[in-house]
Amino acid sequence: MASVSEFTHAEAHAHDGHEDHGDHGHPTGWRRYLLSTNHKDIGTLYLIFAIIGGLVGMVLSILIRAELMTPGIQVFPVLSGILDGDGSVDAAKNLYNMFFTSHAVIMIFFMVMPAMMGGFGNWFVPIMIGAPDMAFPRMNNLSFWLLPASFMLAIISMFVEGAAGMKGFAGGWVLYPPFASTVGTPGPAADFVILSMHIAGASSILGAINFIATILNMRAPGMTMFRMPLFVWSVLVTAFLLLLSLPVLAGALTMLLTDRNFHTTFFDPAGGGDPILYQHIFWFFGHPEVYILIIPGFGIVSQIVSTFARKPIFGYAGMVYAMLAIALLGFVVWAHHMFTTGMSLNAQRYYVLATMVIAVPTGVKIFSWIATMWGGSISLRAPMLWAIGFIFVFTVGGVTGVVLANAAVDRYLHDTYYVVAHFHYTMSLGAVFSIFAGFYYWFPKMSGYLYNEAKAKIHFWLTFVGINLVFFPQHFLGFAGMPRRIVDYTNAYSLWNFVSSIGAFIAGIGTLLFLYILYDAFKLKRQAPANPWGPGATTLEWTLSSPPPFHQFLTPPPIPEEDEHDAPAAAAVGHA
Amino acid sequence: MTTSLERLSPVHRKSALRNKLMGAGGAAVVVGMIALTYAAAPFFIAFCRATGYAGTPQRVEAATTDAEGGRILRVAFDANVAPGLPWKFEAETDAVHVRPGKTVTVFFRAENLADREITAHPTFNVTPAVSGAWFDKIQCFCFTNETLKPHEKVEWPVVFFLNPELEKDESMAHVDAITLSYTLFAAPPTRASASEATRDGPAG
Amino acid sequence: MGFLPANSPVQDNIEWFHNDILMPVIVFISLLVLALLAYVVYRFHEKANPVPSRISHNGPLEIIWTIAPALVLVVIAFPSFRLLAEQLIIPEPDLTLKVTASQWHWNYGYPKAAGGFSFDSLIKDDKDLKPGDIRLLSVDNAAYVPVGKVVEVDVVSQDVIHSFSLPSFGVKIDAVPGRLNKTWFKAEKEGVFYGQCSNICGVGHAFMPIEVHVVSEPAYQAWLAGAKKQFARADGVDLAQADSVKP
Repeated sequence: MASVSEFTHAEAHAHDGHEDHGDHGHPTGWRRYLLSTNHKDIGTLYLIFAIIGGLVGMVLSILIRAELMTPGIQVFPVLSGILDGDGSVDAAKNLYNMFFTSHAVIMIFFMVMPAMMGGFGNWFVPIMIGAPDMAFPRMNNLSFWLLPASFMLAIISMFVEGAAGMKGFAGGWVLYPPFASTVGTPGPAADFVILSMHIAGASSILGAINFIATILNMRAPGMTMFRMPLFVWSVLVTAFLLLLSLPVLAGALTMLLTDRNFHTTFFDPAGGGDPILYQHIFWFFGHPEVYILIIPGFGIVSQIVSTFARKPIFGYAGMVYAMLAIALLGFVVWAHHMFTTGMSLNAQRYYVLATMVIAVPTGVKIFSWIATMWGGSISLRAPMLWAIGFIFVFTVGGVTGVVLANAAVDRYLHDTYYVVAHFHYTMSLGAVFSIFAGFYYWFPKMSGYLYNEAKAKIHFWLTFVGINLVFFPQHFLGFAGMPRRIVDYTNAYSLWNFVSSIGAFIAGIGTLLFLYILYDAFKLKRQAPANPWGPGATTLEWTLSSPPPFHQFLTPPPIPEEDEHDAPAAAAVGHA
Repeated sequence: MTTSLERLSPVHRKSALRNKLMGAGGAAVVVGMIALTYAAAPFFIAFCRATGYAGTPQRVEAATTDAEGGRILRVAFDANVAPGLPWKFEAETDAVHVRPGKTVTVFFRAENLADREITAHPTFNVTPAVSGAWFDKIQCFCFTNETLKPHEKVEWPVVFFLNPELEKDESMAHVDAITLSYTLFAAPPTRASASEATRDGPAG
Repeated sequence: MGFLPANSPVQDNIEWFHNDILMPVIVFISLLVLALLAYVVYRFHEKANPVPSRISHNGPLEIIWTIAPALVLVVIAFPSFRLLAEQLIIPEPDLTLKVTASQWHWNYGYPKAAGGFSFDSLIKDDKDLKPGDIRLLSVDNAAYVPVGKVVEVDVVSQDVIHSFSLPSFGVKIDAVPGRLNKTWFKAEKEGVFYGQCSNICGVGHAFMPIEVHVVSEPAYQAWLAGAKKQFARADGVDLAQADSVKP
């Protein structure tokens, strides 16, 4: 034990941030980030990018909720007057449609995915497996820098023509033809969105290859697959999902692009094509995509629950198999997004059954987290609040998914606010909670500074109350028949829309508080120890300084023999 | 070539080769999935044609059976013209009652209302979707694009029968009515001259 | 539970299946998880339980919490499938309504036997609303159907994908160009019922409502007689679009 900590201390001192002794004299200044091949720096870039993406996406959603606060169209004519120089009602309606389209694209591709995989994945997968960096450090850099390029294209799309006489693409992030073809969107806005998503997809594909090679090849000796932390497993599973599903999106997008520009007719009935074919191909990607968005979150929650209950995860193998099952099943249920397209009875029956089955491994995970806490010694620090919150809100989102899986009920609820509520519970409460959980958990490690615990707890509660207030009433709106993607609604829907919008403003205040917490932490610079969380933090990152040295584990760390009931590497942390 | 990782950590020189292999493997998976996606388009059409999935009627050369079924089904006809095609198009009859096995002929009237020659591309499907496998067309204007001269009027026959085997299909047990729907589109410019182009697949 | 008033046996069953079968299950699961979380946080807080246990396995428990949810899902599947069959197996219709979607209004076509006419149904502007009308839902020409009869609805689109929805009847089916989709309903009570387009289709997506009047048979016949005259079909096609060439 002693030799391990001596080793890591020595390494930490040798590679202290400001002293460029010895190895490779790491780059400084703008080169350090533009040309980075360091997984931690790249992870930081991704996190900064995700924060920016999240803020932009949130501004869009707050404006959307401002419009929906009361019946009538009050906010968007002003906005379109400012942004497009056209304050007419039609321009306002188009801008609204473009806002919810962009909100989804940004939150998915420029917030959740960069934060989870690019941010936390890059930062902690190599460390957790005892590797010095990712398998392909230069490709890692490319993966990151493709994202600002992609984001730029998405922003440009908002200012070029989409539908006739309108700016921006306004057909939903799913880009269904014929609306996304030249029939509905003759202008180039759709092409810009398509190219943006191509580049974002390429970024993730390269990242996925990197993670797979890293995790399969570069584990320190003694770290077998079934001794990897669950966060690493979650990234591995997600990487496979990305590898298999993103190329399919690329295919669908390319077919749409050539239909739009090169007179192909994949999705054009006038040439023998089929708009429904697009939906099949898109959702073959789209459904695994939602698991891509949540499975890393599962991994983060597992790490945090174990740390703050000071217990190893209950049923580790079951958790691994559950993630594998969810991922595999996620590939064979895509058409549950298409129940109203005219599918046959037998096809609908199959998709109902297959979709409901996914609830079983998901339930295993929820119960396993609770069982992990059972008998533990629970500390309710901010990361744990977010993780516990996640377990509850994801359960709510999951069960409404079971409701929607029943095609007979989806008949009523499809394309209503019930669906919006369902996926925001799993995403905006689920994935986002897990991201904040991971952020608070790992912030001291990444920055070397402590955040203010009391303010962080307030952030949690403000957000918890706010976002629940946004989305819970939307279930009622769905029952009442309110369709989604509408700029204005009939007066009967006023009450819950008003409540929902109030919740958005509360959550917005919570986010401002989050930004303040960040600023405060960097201003006060209270030093974080290597392990601020105590004996429950048993993964390798807690053996390194906060922040870790520029390069760690140039020689692999020893992974002690595992005692049956010890978490991997627990023994390596003899003391905090 | 030494990667930055190998320079960084000699221990990982061993994994460098395996990394490269995995990278290549990953790239191959990506290329393969894209290829499969593109293949999905013709595959989908071929699959629908062969199985009747998504309400795709079958195309046959001639009546395949002399047997006659016991049930009577109502077959209704629906005709649509897409915007951009200045034609009139309708079924002569709303519906017919047929016994599976019996060959039926119905007519569709089309008229080009414009002053120029126009080629139309027909799409079609049947509902309920499950009946596609049993709906056999022997002759149909919909097998090819159709060109009409200015103000030309035509009557097109559709010759079909319902395969009596449908009575053994449990999914068809509750199906008493089938609707055959056509939509005529203005053929896309690149295919305007290919009025002889054969189409075996449906749009739906 | 907040569903719109049901006016068809299908919608009655959707509500029953959701309220009496699905809701109890999901409420139970959500409250169970909430209760367990509250309990563990209280009982095993570090102050209440300073020494954590090391138990990380319990075979029987893991089996139970895999099998039990699976059984619940199996039980749910039976009524779910029955309801699905009821929705998708179309009984012999008394009336076939042809619905054509376009940007941004619906067009209703009645069969030859009923007069063979069709008409556009456009949203009423706010300024044209009369007492009893509903903003964003009322239209100029509503569709009329007879009460207690099976109405088959054939849905197509002229341009992009729209979706025809009548929640009170448990009806929702996409309108896709080049394809006919079919659904059905049987309205049990007279009254006026609404739906909205349910697939994003452009700036007018929120402004193409569906309004259906369910009336007695005599009232339906009377309406038919008037509609035949009002919507008498001019022979021919809209030549204004004759020369719009698709790119």
